[in-house]
Amino acid sequence: MNAGYALIACDVFADELSGLFVDPPWRDLVFLQMGLHDYPDKLRTSVQAIVDTLDADGRFDHIALAYGMCGNGLVGVQARSKSLVIPKAHDCISILLGSAERHEAILKANPATYFYSPGWIRNRRVPGPDREHWLKSFYTERYPDDPDLVDDLIAADVSVFSHHNCAAYVDLTNDRRARCYCENCAGFMGWQMTQHTGDASWLQALVRGPWSSDKFQIVAPGESIVAACSQLSMQ
Amino acid sequence: MEPKLNELSEAIKAGRRKEAKLATEELLAAGVAPEEVMSALSAGMDDVGRRFKANEIFVPEVLVAARAMQTSMNLLEPVLLSVGSEPEHTVVIGTVEGDLHDIGKNLVAMMVKAANFKVVDLGTNVSPDAFIAALREHRAAVIGLSALLTTTMPAMRRTVELIRESGVAVKVMVGGAPITQQFAQEIGADGYAPDAASAVDEAKRLIARTAA
Repeated sequence: MNAGYALIACDVFADELSGLFVDPPWRDLVFLQMGLHDYPDKLRTSVQAIVDTLDADGRFDHIALAYGMCGNGLVGVQARSKSLVIPKAHDCISILLGSAERHEAILKANPATYFYSPGWIRNRRVPGPDREHWLKSFYTERYPDDPDLVDDLIAADVSVFSHHNCAAYVDLTNDRRARCYCENCAGFMGWQMTQHTGDASWLQALVRGPWSSDKFQIVAPGESIVAACSQLSMQ
Repeated sequence: MEPKLNELSEAIKAGRRKEAKLATEELLAAGVAPEEVMSALSAGMDDVGRRFKANEIFVPEVLVAARAMQTSMNLLEPVLLSVGSEPEHTVVIGTVEGDLHDIGKNLVAMMVKAANFKVVDLGTNVSPDAFIAALREHRAAVIGLSALLTTTMPAMRRTVELIRESGVAVKVMVGGAPITQQFAQEIGADGYAPDAASAVDEAKRLIARTAA
């Protein structure tokens, strides 16, 4: 870490990164919009574009990524002259929970779990009352002459979440408004709600080090991120 | 009848169920071969898949297109059976244990069915034992395993291992958002399909390889 680093972070971590780290050690911080994991190719090209920009910056030797597997959206990313540092996480939820194992255990206990966090809630597209409003306006603009189709599209979106039955709230920042919002969403969806206290140690380690090999993959300059199947991580 | 076939494809692309149903009924009433009608459906859905991959449309649009296609298929299937166009091969399909996501799996099931395979859809959160029992019961040529979550990729690996240990002769095809060709190879799958349209080609390729 002595040589310094730049951080590329999903916007889902904006609250945690600004709330937990006063006088942060990164030399540069670039946020990318959240939700790109739904479009892994777009996530890949967006991250690669930022990496390419940072690659020429002589102030640091590493580029840290506040991402996990995220739909394998980071596979193929490479830097020419910097090392890439990536948490061995499934996604932001693993990082907020402090370990991939804890994340896996919650899903194993109930595969019908849908995770909420303050950042994820911030975009108001989580399953809940605001999502329907957002979709209605989005699709009405796209298909202005076909209200039946818009209704069908909203019904289809509702069906996407029909197999879930539990809103799992994960928080590192004690955000009461976000928790309350999650409660509302759970009620709206007819789900139970569980709360899981976040564990900041992984995010702390990403920001302050050390980047231990059990928690982080370091990808050398010129090498690409690949999906390492044996441990579901990057190498 | 070509304009009507195009009309059907367009109805699928737009997810307009009623128009798809009407066009299908008219085509069948006019005596158009059900296989031709099925091709028009697949062509429409292929286009939907392409636009989804290009991020031009989103999951709800894919789902309404799929529902429109299903409506037409419900009309077509009895006709296909009545003309003796019975599927030669069976594909067992399901989402692996611990994973409840079914959109991709359902699309693959529908597209494979449209390509005249018998499809046995076991649903989601399917245990390896349930997969193996279904393979034995239906003597499937191909099994399609789906996973959306990186957390359930190990379950896919385990399922493939147990299928191999069971000794059932079947070609294993895998897919799902986080699944890659590399992962498919590492877990010993015979085939990998990055999307629903290629799943059809992959199933055909695997069967041809078995027959060769």
